[in-house]
Amino acid sequence: MTMAEGFDIDHLAKLARLSLTAEEKTLYSSQLNQILSHFQALADADLPATIDDARVVDEAALRSDEPGPVLGADAVTRIAPASRDGQISVPRVVDDES
Amino acid sequence: MADALHTLSAAELGRRLAAGTLTSRVLCEALIARYQAVNDKVGAFTHLDQSDVLAQADASDARRKAGQGRGPLEGIPVAIKDNIAVKGQPLTCSSKMLATLVSPYDSHVAERLRAAGAILYGRLNMDEFAMGSSTENSAIRKTFNPWDLARIPGGSSGGSASALAAGLVPLSLGSDTGGSIRQPASHCGVVGLKPTYGLISRFGLVAFASSLDQIGPMARSIEDCELLLNALASADARDMTCFGPSDRALTPAGEAKKLRIGIPKGFLGKGVAPEVAAAVNAAVEFYRAQGCAISEVELPSADLAVPTYYVVATAEASSNLGRYDGVRYGHRSASAGTPVEMMTASRSEGFGPEVKRRILLGTFVLSAGYADAYYVRALRARAKIRSEYLAALAGVDVLLTPTVPTPAFKVGEKASDPLQLYLEDIFTIPANLAGLPALSVPCGKSGHLPVGFHLVGAPLSEAKLLAAGRLFEAAHGFAHQQAAL
Repeated sequence: MTMAEGFDIDHLAKLARLSLTAEEKTLYSSQLNQILSHFQALADADLPATIDDARVVDEAALRSDEPGPVLGADAVTRIAPASRDGQISVPRVVDDES
Repeated sequence: MADALHTLSAAELGRRLAAGTLTSRVLCEALIARYQAVNDKVGAFTHLDQSDVLAQADASDARRKAGQGRGPLEGIPVAIKDNIAVKGQPLTCSSKMLATLVSPYDSHVAERLRAAGAILYGRLNMDEFAMGSSTENSAIRKTFNPWDLARIPGGSSGGSASALAAGLVPLSLGSDTGGSIRQPASHCGVVGLKPTYGLISRFGLVAFASSLDQIGPMARSIEDCELLLNALASADARDMTCFGPSDRALTPAGEAKKLRIGIPKGFLGKGVAPEVAAAVNAAVEFYRAQGCAISEVELPSADLAVPTYYVVATAEASSNLGRYDGVRYGHRSASAGTPVEMMTASRSEGFGPEVKRRILLGTFVLSAGYADAYYVRALRARAKIRSEYLAALAGVDVLLTPTVPTPAFKVGEKASDPLQLYLEDIFTIPANLAGLPALSVPCGKSGHLPVGFHLVGAPLSEAKLLAAGRLFEAAHGFAHQQAAL
């Protein structure tokens, strides 16, 4: 198997919701290609079919499905970038109905 | 007496507090004076609310006076890395993205420290969102190595290690995703423990790579490190991977002189500075002379650890950091247009270069057409690495290597070469990939710069690691060391 030799930095930036300058695109493209070439060892390795998340205890410790304490609206809106009338404000998502 | 309090261990401070020869207020006033004299030189703290510290100290002294002391940490300051939530204190992750965020809640470890009577003492600098090995990626300030102010303290918990080595605080909390507790501990000549994955709750730790992240204790001695560990480990239903306190991990281990120590083949060769190799070899010979059985072990997939880590960690980071969209908290761009434009502008303005680099890398390794080649293969490599470590640890009690291949480098020396920085973590990464406990212990100097060795054990073998560290520490002069500033 051969690993990808390159990537489309514009597409990646769009997926990652990042806006990059021309200088950033050049820099990150060069650095990511260098880093990805180091990952070639993964492509060349003889690997098991299984995957593993390194948990010590296999069973997830699920808590009971009951309501518990939560942050109140005041605490939530206090840390929001913008709020109004106890709610978080965001740019308009849908147009007014005509 | 007050001027020397910053040199004392947490255990000794605890004894004096318990004996009534010291109050928490006097201790905190002495540490605040030390902070005022030294913090600008080393840059370890990004925030210290002095009046809040003194109020906590007075409350602790009042509890003690009323016979309601809460244990060995009562009245002892513990400084906290700025990615661990403490209610009412900043939670910036040393990022512009969270520059104005004040945490509305306590992390589980903050709750534990309050319950233990500890003083929650200030916020420590770090690489932005814990991404880095030098603390140069902080958007707030630079942190320097107290042993040489032209050099990095390591990272990402650079503030946590620098504060200890500078005598700013007796105990600190770090977080460790690929070595972020142990590598700065080694560079600053202090003790740092990454616990078994799941021993300490991650509730309230700002997520970087959730399958790798662990909070851990840092101190100037093994005894202090153990004191803090015991206060932190506790069951918490808010972190489904946290299994709570374990007698196996926390009960003091038996005779350290009977430990079987494995030396991974080739780990002291290529890329390890001669002075580091010499200090670590001297530690090996010390253990041999004490009666420990030393043997060489094979870890054939060790070379896969760094690429595996940087695929898994960046994949998880790109997902975890998706939450910073300028909507609910964190930076929102003033140039907002549509919601997507607002999110994109907010993220582009709020994140620094290393965070952007890792988000892009993680986005790539998870993207359609590439996920099987990168992410899935990395998960398979992770399974192989873990299985090799567990197999090696079936035959020995601990594995011993250097913590870092070279001593602390100069500020700016590797800033333009991310791959070289990633290789700083070559010895520490496998413990995160395999969920194993690991400890860095100061073992010497390269010139004036501290060097540490690294012990890795089977799951829940913290007590064994600490016992091995204690045996070495008791025979050498590296405990409680502080740089002259």
